[in-house]
Amino acid sequence: MRSDMLISVLSELNGASADIEATGVISTDGLMMASVLPASLDEDRVGAMSAAMLSLGDRTAQELARGELEQVLIKGDLGYVLMTYAGKEAVLTVLAKPNAKLGLIFLDVKRAASSIAELI
Amino acid sequence: MPHDFEKLTQYAKSFSELTPEREALLIEVGEQIKPKLAGITEDFYQHLLAIPEASAFLEGRVESLKKTHTRWMEGLFSGPFDKAYTEHMFKVGDVHVKVNLPVEFMAGAMTLINHRLIALIVETYGDDKEYCAQILSAISAVTGLSLLVMQQSYQEASLAEELEKFLKISGMSRALFTNLATAYRDK
Repeated sequence: MRSDMLISVLSELNGASADIEATGVISTDGLMMASVLPASLDEDRVGAMSAAMLSLGDRTAQELARGELEQVLIKGDLGYVLMTYAGKEAVLTVLAKPNAKLGLIFLDVKRAASSIAELI
Repeated sequence: MPHDFEKLTQYAKSFSELTPEREALLIEVGEQIKPKLAGITEDFYQHLLAIPEASAFLEGRVESLKKTHTRWMEGLFSGPFDKAYTEHMFKVGDVHVKVNLPVEFMAGAMTLINHRLIALIVETYGDDKEYCAQILSAISAVTGLSLLVMQQSYQEASLAEELEKFLKISGMSRALFTNLATAYRDK
């Protein structure tokens, strides 16, 4: 039931922008809770890598006196990976195209992260 | 992490060639050799104290270490060299990591012990060359087995220590690290 609701939030997020290619909600231990991913991506790896990156981002922000972590953004020539906390127990990961309009995506992701945090 | 000490014992014996015959031989000569081991320990620590890098680890502990060392050497001539012995040697390796002993100290120390044991065996059994050679092979086997197990332990403990540091620095939980490793396990 909760998984269905999470999928619904993710589907809405995926539909909000054509630039979003994949989304996932992951426990802070790196286990996938719900996802809308293309078949080419390994769910376990996306989950574990996202949680690890966010954890490292958390420590980096703390270590370099950047305050509380809001998000981790990775840019590659084939697109973006955006990771943000959805409450204290989950991570929301979004994969976007290289020409994505990040401002809009940030807003949609923030909204989705709040919804997910309420669900969890 | 639980260890299969029986498996490690067999593995170490496959390298060291500690056969049942050699084990029996070590026990056979034990009665004559054991009373002389305290002297070897004394000489061994005198040598270590002359090495500045080693003496730093011995300060204030030499007398208690000598007792432990002599007891261990007596064990070399007592047996049995089973999984309990392997487990004990594994813990010895672990303790060496905890006091930050450089890894080369174990091989270095074992070399010094072997030199002294060789001299003792030649002095005691040198008249019978064949018997003497058999005893020396048995000693080489049992000290080789001990070193292999300690180094195995040392390697695992060092890696575990490094992992702890990494987890602390990265902020990752152990569960997350395990899930990450599982996700990237060879499929």
